Amino acid sequence: MKTPRATSKQLSSIEKAKPIKCGTFGATSLQQRYLATGDFGGNLNIWNLEAPEIPVYSVKGHKEIINSIDGVGGLGIGEGAPEIVTGSRDGTVKVWDPRQKDTPVANMEPVQGESKRDCWTVAFGNAYNQEERVVCAGYDNGDIKLFDLKTMSLRWETNIKNGVCSVEFDRKDVNMNKLVATSLEGKFHVFDMRTQHPTKGFASVSEKAQKSTIWQVRHLPQNRDIFMTSGGAGSLHLWKYEYPAQRSKKDSEGAEMGVAGSVSLLQNVTLSTQPISSLDWSPDKKGLCVCGAFDQTVRVLIVTKLNKV
Amino acid sequence: MRCARAGLARFYSSLKNHTLDSPWQCCQVSVPPFLFEAILYAPIDDTNSTAKIGNGIIFFTLYKKEVAMWDYLTLSNANKEKLQYLRENAVLKSHEKAKEETEAKKVTKQEHKKYTLEATMKLEEAERKRIEDLKEKERLKVMKELELWRKEQKDSEKQKRVQKEEELCQEAEQLKEKKKEKMNKAAIPNEGTSETRLKPTKGCGSFSMFSENLKEERLPAPRSAATIKINFTPRVFPTALRESRVAEEEEWLRKQAEARRTINADLSELEDLKEEEKNPDWLKDKGNKMFATGNYLAAVNAYNLAVRLNNKLPLLYLNRAACHLKLRNLHKAIEDSSKALELLTPPVPDNENARVKAYVRRGTAFCQLELFTEGLQDYEAALKIDPKNKTIEKDAEKIRHLIQGTPQDS
Repeated sequence: MKTPRATSKQLSSIEKAKPIKCGTFGATSLQQRYLATGDFGGNLNIWNLEAPEIPVYSVKGHKEIINSIDGVGGLGIGEGAPEIVTGSRDGTVKVWDPRQKDTPVANMEPVQGESKRDCWTVAFGNAYNQEERVVCAGYDNGDIKLFDLKTMSLRWETNIKNGVCSVEFDRKDVNMNKLVATSLEGKFHVFDMRTQHPTKGFASVSEKAQKSTIWQVRHLPQNRDIFMTSGGAGSLHLWKYEYPAQRSKKDSEGAEMGVAGSVSLLQNVTLSTQPISSLDWSPDKKGLCVCGAFDQTVRVLIVTKLNKV
Repeated sequence: MRCARAGLARFYSSLKNHTLDSPWQCCQVSVPPFLFEAILYAPIDDTNSTAKIGNGIIFFTLYKKEVAMWDYLTLSNANKEKLQYLRENAVLKSHEKAKEETEAKKVTKQEHKKYTLEATMKLEEAERKRIEDLKEKERLKVMKELELWRKEQKDSEKQKRVQKEEELCQEAEQLKEKKKEKMNKAAIPNEGTSETRLKPTKGCGSFSMFSENLKEERLPAPRSAATIKINFTPRVFPTALRESRVAEEEEWLRKQAEARRTINADLSELEDLKEEEKNPDWLKDKGNKMFATGNYLAAVNAYNLAVRLNNKLPLLYLNRAACHLKLRNLHKAIEDSSKALELLTPPVPDNENARVKAYVRRGTAFCQLELFTEGLQDYEAALKIDPKNKTIEKDAEKIRHLIQGTPQDS
């Protein structure tokens, strides 16, 4: 991994009233390029960056900070309506359609009287046709819940014993294949999502990468078996997943059960002493990625020789 | 003996281990148990002289320091003192020489070490430089590729834009014609909605609007809203779950539970109670359940027992006050609410809810006893803690009216 020596130029700086926690381009078309953001006050806004004074869409979606946001249906990836999902400290996960004002199209909230847990991360997946959609949410008490938006039900849940910092499907727009969930204490789990066992759920393999929190995971857009994790010690790790010989087998009662593969570390680098909290790959140039860290720097990196992996 | 140059000494002795000591004037050979010593006539050159030992023969090859004729080989007529002096001198000098030699060896060794160290450092430097050069080359290559790719992107984008403009122009033309036809048929043009929604940004803005319109007709309608109710894996602590902290947390919880259990466990009546009935928390839960089903007397009993076990839990008094209210034991309700408030000091945001309830219950009891001013005081205290609660406000208003109403009557 290398850092190109060129310097970047800031094109513009826009400031809004409340601090912004997260953002995504996932639900807009390539022409519109609207940025959907979630801020510390629980507001979801969609901005036209050419005219940022007034948001194109705005709603006070949550009572507390929106920790995580994801979009699907835009950027020419996937099918179906554009939708945005937000997860908040108030324990709810809400799915929004930018064409419908004020009310979410889906709301995953705790039962009456249940004490709420922080939702730390959300991700879309399984958007391979116009009806199917799945939302995965990770919480601070280690819960991972998978919601099916077509049947509006909870499809699967599990607990990985550490607060879940980041979840991502390897591809949003295919039949759900793999899900990576990263957590506190330096662990991450890779779930094989093709085979769901009625009681055991999905098969998984887990790996302890480092001692500090793994803040984010991102799959390479050009190869869905390679992903990068960013850590609390300022390091980036590049991993490759290998499928097992047989992805599913029958258990003693004849039900189909998934088989998890293995994960191997390809490369790692330490860029900073502070956590790298956010990272993303370029969809156009293979290996180009950008990461932001707590030391107030944005770094652009290139990973070479990915063709030979 | 008279000799011309070197001396030959023949000796027959058992030669086992021998130490040779040949300083400048003394010649000593020690072959235990024999010792050969010869104080020579004049100093000899130590470094070049040698002695070969073997076969029962010692063969000395001694070189004179100054070329001269010796009268004798040895100083046989030397007195004892001189001999002694010479011997000591010899020993000293030999020691000194040995020292110097070791010193010299040390110095050379150090120099050798230095040299090797420098050599290895140079090698490592070279290796590092080689790796750095490789990296640098890779970097330059990648940068060039990136530049090329960027250029390509720009060029292709330009081309695409030009193409699209042409296409859109054609499409717009077609659509305009279609719309003209429609307008001729229907009276109301329907363009208003689409144009106001998207702000045209550049010259081609209006064209992209039309293509967006076409696309939107292909998207499905927004989903019908629904809610999914979820349950969380229970966790007492508000902080996130970490595996490394689980042991600590369990320990803390266990200690808390123990601390709340029987404080005065030596009450004789408690001997025949079951284990769980001695736990104030369990009793409180039981009391709550009975309150919910309407069995207020039984709830009071449960709370009574719990209080006997641990009289420091404010919630017990609070809930018992609610039971008494239902049973119309108003004085007891007031007592219990007051006790609960006492235990709920210091007033912090955590026990806000409990305090509001205590005030409201006491206020209700006062009002039912027709002590409206005291009741109003309590309601206002409750309102101070939780100003947004509408029921409390309404009730406070009612009481105020009652107060204003009664003085007129009496």
